[in-house]
Amino acid sequence: MKQIITENIPTAPSKHVAPQADHADGTRTVMRYVADLRAWLFLAMLILGFEVWSRFSFGGTFVLNPFNLQSIAIFAVAPLLLAMGQTFVIIAGGIDLSAGFVMGLAAVVAAHVINWANPIMPMPMAVLTGTIAAVMLAGVPGMVNGLLVSRLKVPPFIGTLGMFGVARGVAFLLAGGTTVPVNNSFFAGLGNGRILSVPYIVILAAIFVLLMHYVLSYTRFGQHNYAIGASAQAARRAGININSHLLRLYILSGFCAGLAGVLYAARFSAGAAQAGEPLLLDCVAAVVIGGASLFGGSGTILGTVAGAFVIAVIQYGLVFTNVAPFWQFISVGVVIIISVLIDQTQRRMSGGRISE
Amino acid sequence: MCRRAILAAANAAIISITCGLSPAPAADRKFTVALIPGLTTDTFYTTMRRGAQIAADALGVELVFQGAPDFNPVLQVPVLDAVIARKPDAILIAPTDVTQLVEPLRKADDTGIPVITVDTFIGTGMYQIGSGNADFPLSSIASDNVLGGRMAARALADAIGGEGAVFVANNKPGISTTDQREEGFKTELAAHYPKVVVLETQFNENDANKAASQLQGVLARHPELKGVFGGNHFSALGAANGVQQAGKSGAVKVVAFDAPSGVVDDIDRGLIDVAIAQHPAEIGYYGVMSAYAHLTGQSIPVSIGTGFTVINKSNVHDPSIAKYIYAD
Repeated sequence: MKQIITENIPTAPSKHVAPQADHADGTRTVMRYVADLRAWLFLAMLILGFEVWSRFSFGGTFVLNPFNLQSIAIFAVAPLLLAMGQTFVIIAGGIDLSAGFVMGLAAVVAAHVINWANPIMPMPMAVLTGTIAAVMLAGVPGMVNGLLVSRLKVPPFIGTLGMFGVARGVAFLLAGGTTVPVNNSFFAGLGNGRILSVPYIVILAAIFVLLMHYVLSYTRFGQHNYAIGASAQAARRAGININSHLLRLYILSGFCAGLAGVLYAARFSAGAAQAGEPLLLDCVAAVVIGGASLFGGSGTILGTVAGAFVIAVIQYGLVFTNVAPFWQFISVGVVIIISVLIDQTQRRMSGGRISE
Repeated sequence: MCRRAILAAANAAIISITCGLSPAPAADRKFTVALIPGLTTDTFYTTMRRGAQIAADALGVELVFQGAPDFNPVLQVPVLDAVIARKPDAILIAPTDVTQLVEPLRKADDTGIPVITVDTFIGTGMYQIGSGNADFPLSSIASDNVLGGRMAARALADAIGGEGAVFVANNKPGISTTDQREEGFKTELAAHYPKVVVLETQFNENDANKAASQLQGVLARHPELKGVFGGNHFSALGAANGVQQAGKSGAVKVVAFDAPSGVVDDIDRGLIDVAIAQHPAEIGYYGVMSAYAHLTGQSIPVSIGTGFTVINKSNVHDPSIAKYIYAD
């Protein structure tokens, strides 16, 4: 996973310049490269810092230990998948607060459907059925979010907060207030197996990330996304159907959360309604650290990948270097603030709008 | 009417029961007992509710179950207030804070509603002693979480042969039950297992993903790790997955606190070695029984301790053990 990502760094920024920046002069473009790269620089500095730290305090290596890399990659999968949808939504100027509980809902649905399908079909078919059912169902709260935001003009923060509650309640009702165990060895193997020492879920996540990167950077859908986030007015006048775009956007976010939920159920052999609850803030943080602006119009998938790894590396690294647990909160908080400060400074320097 | 409408929203269930009843108890009236859990979204409390319902059905008592979705006094107190406003005959509550729930519960006591705490407690948990500001509840019905922690320590120490490094994977600090389990765990190891080294506790905020990652982080740093105690369900689930991902199943022993239904599979597959089950159904059952005894003029014990059951591979399918697996 790390390999794939690293190879992509140099080519990443040039492809994701928002449409409104097309006519920007050279300096501004350079500033954008720096901004897009800053999450990766941050990540590199962090890894270097932990490497030095562990060599001094413990005489061992941090980053050259394949076990550490594997652990960090597994840890990052769930927040990263949630953050994929969130990146799209935030770039378009919205936010999806329901993502965490939609993930839990999908995990519970996947568990139930697979348990139901187990006796009547072969194991892999049951898993496929459960996966499709869970991801499709996760699209439903996404669709409601989209309708609320696009047709009924409910602010995303409020509309998705409502769905946060609805998805949470439905998930707990379906789960009967408990965790739903899944008994399917194929599913458990998918969640915990590996090929050439790379876990399947990490490979799946990497493929999904590349797909999302393609959609955001190389398709009309992605370009419309930037345009709407930069200025909904201008996008409308340019003939973009904003309502239908927003609808598809929130459904996409639901699908991402659904996939995260299925992988959770595979990994822990259980669906839990609260599976994604702690991940919501992590996924928003990953997007922001990755360089997206909460005001919309900027951000990249690869930046978000770096953002998710920044959080994962901090949390894992502080356990590895044996730091008292509460420093984790402080460190992640400080990193978020620093990233936003860098973002604001860069915008001011490049003459861009600071708040809109 | 307006006030009633608001309360109806908060607690629709009670209305149909108490509406129209005069405040003075009729000789043959049906008692209403409210059970307020620490949170509604935890299988421990839904199991407690099942036990309470069984007692309520047996006694012809109406049981009302209302609570908040998170274990948090800020969310629990409004639920409590709404319940008090409907004047049930008794309140069973799992208080979410030892001090913050004292005054809100005193309101119930002042209104003449007897209070019994279940699982968690207020003040010191010593009631009816005539001193302190939190001795008004009639009874505390709970498992001794310090003892549960000690049992977990013994189970883990025995599983690793009495020596090696272990750590506690826990939810977050400040929750009386999980804090006590950790305390009991460490006390027991310090007292009786001098060769067991206890590493820094890792807090995962009930996130299994984080618990798994923390297990791997500790393991990377301390390859000699022999065992982990998961202080609650998601801590244990995550730690067990971390052990599995690291390919250390069997080499790193996992002791879990609590026994929701998934734990059976986890023990079967060797992910979890030992589960310490509390008896939440028993807590609910004796909660309603005690309330009824008090309401019908009997005296009740100020403290009822419910036990634990150690579940492992050898007994997990024993029918006499199955009743301790949590379920609605």
